[in-house]
Amino acid sequence: MTTGTTTSAHPQSPGIATRTSSSKSIPGLARSLLAQREWGVAVLLALTVTAVAIVNPAFLQPANLRDVLVNNAPFAIIAAGVTFVIVTAEIDISVGSLAGLLSAVMGLLTSRDYAHLNVALACLIVLAIGTFVGAINGVLVAYCRVPSIIVTLGMLTALRGATELLMAGKWIQNLPDSLRFLGTGSIAGVPVSILTAAALIIASMILATRTPLGRRIYAVGSNVHAARLAGLSPRRIKLFVFTFTGFLVGVATLVGVTKFSTIDPAIGKNWELFVVTAVVVGGASISGGKGTIIGTVLGVLLLGIVGTVLTFLKLGDRLTYWERAIQGAFILLAVLADHLGGKREK
Amino acid sequence: MPRAVSRRTLLMTSDTFIQIRDIHKSYGGVHALSGVSMDIARGEVHALCGENGAGKSTLIKILSGSVTPDRGDVLVNGAAMRLGDVRASEAAGIAVIHQESVAFGHLSTFDNIYVGREPKKLGGLLLDRAAMRSQTRALLQRLGEADAFDPVRPVSELSVAQRQMVGMARALSQDCRLLVMDEPTASLSERETRVLFNLIRQFRKDGVAVLYVSHRLDEIFELSDRVTVFRDGKHVSTEPIAGMTKEKLIHCMVGRELLATDQETSFSRRVHPARPSDVPLLQLKNLTRAGVFQNVSFEVRAGEIVGMAGLVGAGRSEVARVIFGADPADAGQVFIAGEPLGGNSIDQAMRRGIAMVPEDRQHLGLVLPMSVGTNLTLPILRRLTRFGLTSSKRERQEVEKLIKALGVKAASPAVPAETLSGGNQQKLVIGKWLATRPRVLILDEPTRGVDVGAKAEVHKLIRQLAEEGMATLLISSDLPEVLAMSDRILVMRAGMISGEISREEATQEKVLSLAIPASSSPGAEVAA
Repeated sequence: MTTGTTTSAHPQSPGIATRTSSSKSIPGLARSLLAQREWGVAVLLALTVTAVAIVNPAFLQPANLRDVLVNNAPFAIIAAGVTFVIVTAEIDISVGSLAGLLSAVMGLLTSRDYAHLNVALACLIVLAIGTFVGAINGVLVAYCRVPSIIVTLGMLTALRGATELLMAGKWIQNLPDSLRFLGTGSIAGVPVSILTAAALIIASMILATRTPLGRRIYAVGSNVHAARLAGLSPRRIKLFVFTFTGFLVGVATLVGVTKFSTIDPAIGKNWELFVVTAVVVGGASISGGKGTIIGTVLGVLLLGIVGTVLTFLKLGDRLTYWERAIQGAFILLAVLADHLGGKREK
Repeated sequence: MPRAVSRRTLLMTSDTFIQIRDIHKSYGGVHALSGVSMDIARGEVHALCGENGAGKSTLIKILSGSVTPDRGDVLVNGAAMRLGDVRASEAAGIAVIHQESVAFGHLSTFDNIYVGREPKKLGGLLLDRAAMRSQTRALLQRLGEADAFDPVRPVSELSVAQRQMVGMARALSQDCRLLVMDEPTASLSERETRVLFNLIRQFRKDGVAVLYVSHRLDEIFELSDRVTVFRDGKHVSTEPIAGMTKEKLIHCMVGRELLATDQETSFSRRVHPARPSDVPLLQLKNLTRAGVFQNVSFEVRAGEIVGMAGLVGAGRSEVARVIFGADPADAGQVFIAGEPLGGNSIDQAMRRGIAMVPEDRQHLGLVLPMSVGTNLTLPILRRLTRFGLTSSKRERQEVEKLIKALGVKAASPAVPAETLSGGNQQKLVIGKWLATRPRVLILDEPTRGVDVGAKAEVHKLIRQLAEEGMATLLISSDLPEVLAMSDRILVMRAGMISGEISREEATQEKVLSLAIPASSSPGAEVAA
């Protein structure tokens, strides 16, 4: 469905709106934007970019745009997984901590100061641990029936503790060059991290829209009772989305952390806030059944560019605080929009 | 009447597709099904009738695999089917079209039809969307709905009838050998009903067995070959439709032995002094909630118990919710003691002296993990509060008074409400509203799921309140209860009051004939 048909189906004049009484209170344009959140986010993103470009044309320089993409590539990768989790009406807030743990593991395995293992082998170990942790989340949520917010909150804390134990407050240095290629290298002029993110985003889009598994993920999130009646196994599907997210956190760590020459014990802190905000801003419904990968990617870009814009505004030390405040406002607005949109659908 | 009937009734035994053998199922001590057996033959439309709570829905759930029976077998073509497994039921060719068409609101028609059995390509990796699209179109064409709606739209945007068509299309898309339909015409228009009937006949011709659950007797007589009646979780009779009459069918559904309990309670029927001069405490004038109920008008006077009977979905609870301010009305008005009930909020309704005991007491009526005492005083905390603090002494006194008045059997007011028996819990729900000192009491299924002894106590309490001047509206699907308790009985059907019967002339047959919709009559269509 395009916005064109959406708009014509819900005329601008509130008087003609026939769907429900509650829809009368929302103006037509806002309503159609609520119906297709991706477009709303895209418009907002375009407006932000335009505004910044007018104030400071340097923003549009290819190098800067590339930096924006490179910086946000790991978030987009993780957010793709978290989108599926949220579509099944669950949540995963352990992704940031997991990225932190995996960074530490990767540093310890490859650094010349520590194990100095083969880089390819180290990468496989990182991906395996990420997948394994995701699977533990999945088993606890789907089979032990612990609410996902509790499971992943516990996991967040436990992994953070494990990371601090491993790193003992020190930075890991002397990473091998072949590892840093993942974060800083390019293939045919395109950074590896952007290529990886693009590949995984496309794969996630195909999973979401073109595969039986994808449809079942949405079905479970839309109506878990009906899903059971259709012979689906909501447990297995939930186990899958958490495991897949763990794997993606592994990939994001490989391309995201290696661009620095050192590994900092604070890596991954608050990533979960950024990612969940981006997914919800991108149109996924916390109550499940709804959300698209493209919306999530737009959400990541919007939030990422807001961060860059703040840098351009030269706020200095206060930058982080502003970024947090704006992120918070975004998530509240997105949930509110979701709530109003949900009312309309009823 | 289809000409095929007599031929089919003869073919029965050799053509049995499914045999249901001695199925037992109970929910927390309440027997939903106790030892039910029946057969359904290939190419037969088999109607299943029974009052609310007779066990029809439970049987459907067992056939669909979503509920596992405690005991018993289902044989498909003579071989035992794995029970409690949706996949096994599907593999046996059982397709169920549910009463409230279960659907994935966020997903498109395509997806709703194929979720779980998607056409695949590339070795099962990808969805074959082209196949989904063309097959869906073909299915909708068979249903005569090809042009009616856009199969790409999320089904939450479709009408109820269209959503049901999606459910039909899903069943059609399976290679179904037994089609189970639970009240399929409840929300269909006349035209859609005709389409559905033609389809069912088509199925029958193709040798599919159809289990058709409906309250609409006309439809049963028009469509079915045999009819089975359940009552109180037991199989009462199975007969060829040719040998059935409507009177006989209603008689089977109601049951003679019920008269015994009926008489037993009728001895204790109190004689209500008619006081026609009184201003009605509760009065409804043309109350309407679009699509739910229309033009509902009645009154309840002080000391009067007015029963409200009707089938599930007739709109009784919905009327109660509007009176209580839980839902808004679209037209009409509610008067309390002659004064319009202004505003539309539960708070306002409570201030004006209305109390409602909701149908689903576990979810709506009690905070189960909280103590008996806390539950009782929840609605009156304001009265017990001084300077923002709740007086624990006054609370204790109030609780003791209520527990005594209600005869609640609890070890102490401090035990959690969930530890009490069903009957005592129900007394708590009534009691917590009595604490608000209401003038009008609305009871929605006050004795559902409670045992006989507790039921009698709840009845005693209701009578006692009426004698003290309470205007009571008693909504109940338990016909003997309505007959025994009410001074007058209102019957609702498809969102309208279909009749009023005085206590003297009330019989189960009369109530049922008013409650059961004539097939696809204009009146029954209003709810669609």
